Amino acid sequence: MPHPTRRRLLAGSAALVAAPAIARAQTAGAVKPRVTVISQWSAGSDGAAITALGKVFEQHGGIWQHNPVPGFTTEMMNKLRAEILAGDPPAISQLKGPEIAAWSKIAPTVDITPWVKEAGFETKVPVELAKSCQPAGHWVALPLQVYRINTLFLSTKGMERAKLTKAPTTWAEFNEAAAKMKAAGMIPLANGGIRWDDGMKFEIALAGIDPDVYRRAIMQLDTDALKSKQVLAAFEQTRRFADWMNPNIAAQSWPVNLPAFMKGDMGMVLMGGWAQGNLLRAGATPADFSSGPAPQDSGPPCFDLNADCFMFWKQKAADLQAGQKLFAGIVMQPTVEEMYSKITGSIPARTDVDLTAEGFTDGQRNSAQNLRNAIAEKRVVLSLAHNMAQPNGITAAMIDVLTEYVHNSTITAAEGQKRLINAVESAQ
Amino acid sequence: MPAGVGRLLTQLAIWVPLLIAAGHVVLFTAWTTWVSFTPSTLLPEYTWIGLRNYRNVMRTANFQIAYVNLVIYGIGFVALTTALGLLLAILLDQRVRAENALRTIFLYPLAVSFVVTGTVWSWLLNPGLGIQKLAHNIGWTGFRFDWLVEPDKAIYTLILAGAWQGAGFAMALFLAGLRSVDTDLLKAAQIDGAGPWRTYRRVVLPTIWPIFITVLVILLQFAIKTFDLVRALTGGGPGISTMLPALVVYDFMFQRGELGRGSAAAVLMLLSLVVVLAPYGLYVRWRRRRQARA
Repeated sequence: MPHPTRRRLLAGSAALVAAPAIARAQTAGAVKPRVTVISQWSAGSDGAAITALGKVFEQHGGIWQHNPVPGFTTEMMNKLRAEILAGDPPAISQLKGPEIAAWSKIAPTVDITPWVKEAGFETKVPVELAKSCQPAGHWVALPLQVYRINTLFLSTKGMERAKLTKAPTTWAEFNEAAAKMKAAGMIPLANGGIRWDDGMKFEIALAGIDPDVYRRAIMQLDTDALKSKQVLAAFEQTRRFADWMNPNIAAQSWPVNLPAFMKGDMGMVLMGGWAQGNLLRAGATPADFSSGPAPQDSGPPCFDLNADCFMFWKQKAADLQAGQKLFAGIVMQPTVEEMYSKITGSIPARTDVDLTAEGFTDGQRNSAQNLRNAIAEKRVVLSLAHNMAQPNGITAAMIDVLTEYVHNSTITAAEGQKRLINAVESAQ
Repeated sequence: MPAGVGRLLTQLAIWVPLLIAAGHVVLFTAWTTWVSFTPSTLLPEYTWIGLRNYRNVMRTANFQIAYVNLVIYGIGFVALTTALGLLLAILLDQRVRAENALRTIFLYPLAVSFVVTGTVWSWLLNPGLGIQKLAHNIGWTGFRFDWLVEPDKAIYTLILAGAWQGAGFAMALFLAGLRSVDTDLLKAAQIDGAGPWRTYRRVVLPTIWPIFITVLVILLQFAIKTFDLVRALTGGGPGISTMLPALVVYDFMFQRGELGRGSAAAVLMLLSLVVVLAPYGLYVRWRRRRQARA
């Protein structure tokens, strides 16, 4: 073989550099839908669910590029902000509640109203959820799954140990049951000690006492509602919760309590519906626990709503635009929402999905029925601790007060109420 | 290469990185200060609103608790670390046999990141898992060491973990200082019949007091900047009782998405550092002037 001269080397490398351009030119006509996604769901049942969604996307012929950001929602939002500032937002990002409205002002979004109308999706989701996805009057986001926050999980072994036969349905019954559990040597209430967990306990107490006061006080920040005796009663109930929690918990995430809960050393968990996913992944069988709505002092159980949505950011590349259209179509399908909810333990955002199918638990069916009833009777409220009711700044100020109250037993309920009112005023 | 080019290259090698590094810090500090006077939330906006962000931040409970904690933590951390470091240095100075090995062992904690320190200490101090449980297991059931979960005592756990990490550093500095004491002075003290305790108190420690100042300043600015230790050890809890200024800045800027208020908190942190370092700078100038005169 003749030895490579410099001219031949130069010619050969020029050809190599040109080759991809030739290949690209040949496939320029066909645009494969591609989508770049960021979310906070990197592990556990959430991670498994988004991976399954990605597989469905790929089955429909798209390229799925998901970059999860581990941590709570704020870590994902930091990454999103960095990408927006760099001028390169992802095609799809997870966002929820009032953040959709706030973020839609800082970067251009895609108007997906035509796709939503085509799928007839608008009439199938709860009104509050639909409103949060249309900050300027047109759809920019799609809801994926809904969780009920005010859910009570009871350990079967724990109930036997404390000789309790039925789930408490009012706060008075709850207090009695907890007292019996404490007398039996158990820890009545499992909690982590992380901020949103503490804030969530307060909101479950208040929603259980009176959802109308919750709506006015927490969602509308009406000062008279914040000063009301229902809010004071909620603080007192939260103080009782704090007394029944494990005193040794120091800022650990709540799933560390799961083994004790399954064994019966801890009796009750007040948590959103995703706890079912956590429990099943931790090795529990549906016989180890029972779930139902958290205690409600008057009227039928309200529904404290937490929902995850996907937001669509305007893209220039044709393949990303095609990917967004394909993704929107997939996410609005009832079968896809069904599959997603089976893995995470949520209920689908579409209210017309049939949950009697295999793979759903009674807890989910009960939750979905609860949602339908609550929509009809206007007893749906939005979660504070999970960033649905208020934007981040106000939520953080209120949660500061609540988490301090839970961990410091010297703060009285009246003092806690005063601090909450001050926090709301100064955060606005 | 001609001599002129050599000199030019030297200048480039010094000035370019220096200007980039200094400019980077100065420019971004200036930008943050500017943003602190604007109503920025998720993204920076550039309209002037005066001191409103500062007033807002200083009124939050978060901030007030953080600065009270800073005073407690600052004094406690510096005092304990200095005391431990000095003690270890004096002990090591006694010409022990395994001095090199011991010195390395005492310096190891410094090589561990603050996050690891915080995590491991959070397990050790957890009443259900760590030292308290160990004491209960061996039979001493009356023992209580649950500072980590008490809102008014959790800050002391930070001091403990921080001192454990920083004592090696203080020890290294003090040891170098002790070794640099003039042997003539020591011999003179010995001849005068001074015992070891008096020698240390009256001769050695006064000689190395500039090292005290150095250690004090370095540890103090360590304390003001503490972030990862608190995040790993207590997460700011229980509740918000162990908040520190760096966490307040992070909370406002990233958790709450309020860039304006976060920048105001950051500028306040910078001011508190200046309050610490400016006297030190003045002191150094004063000493130099004294030495020049002497």
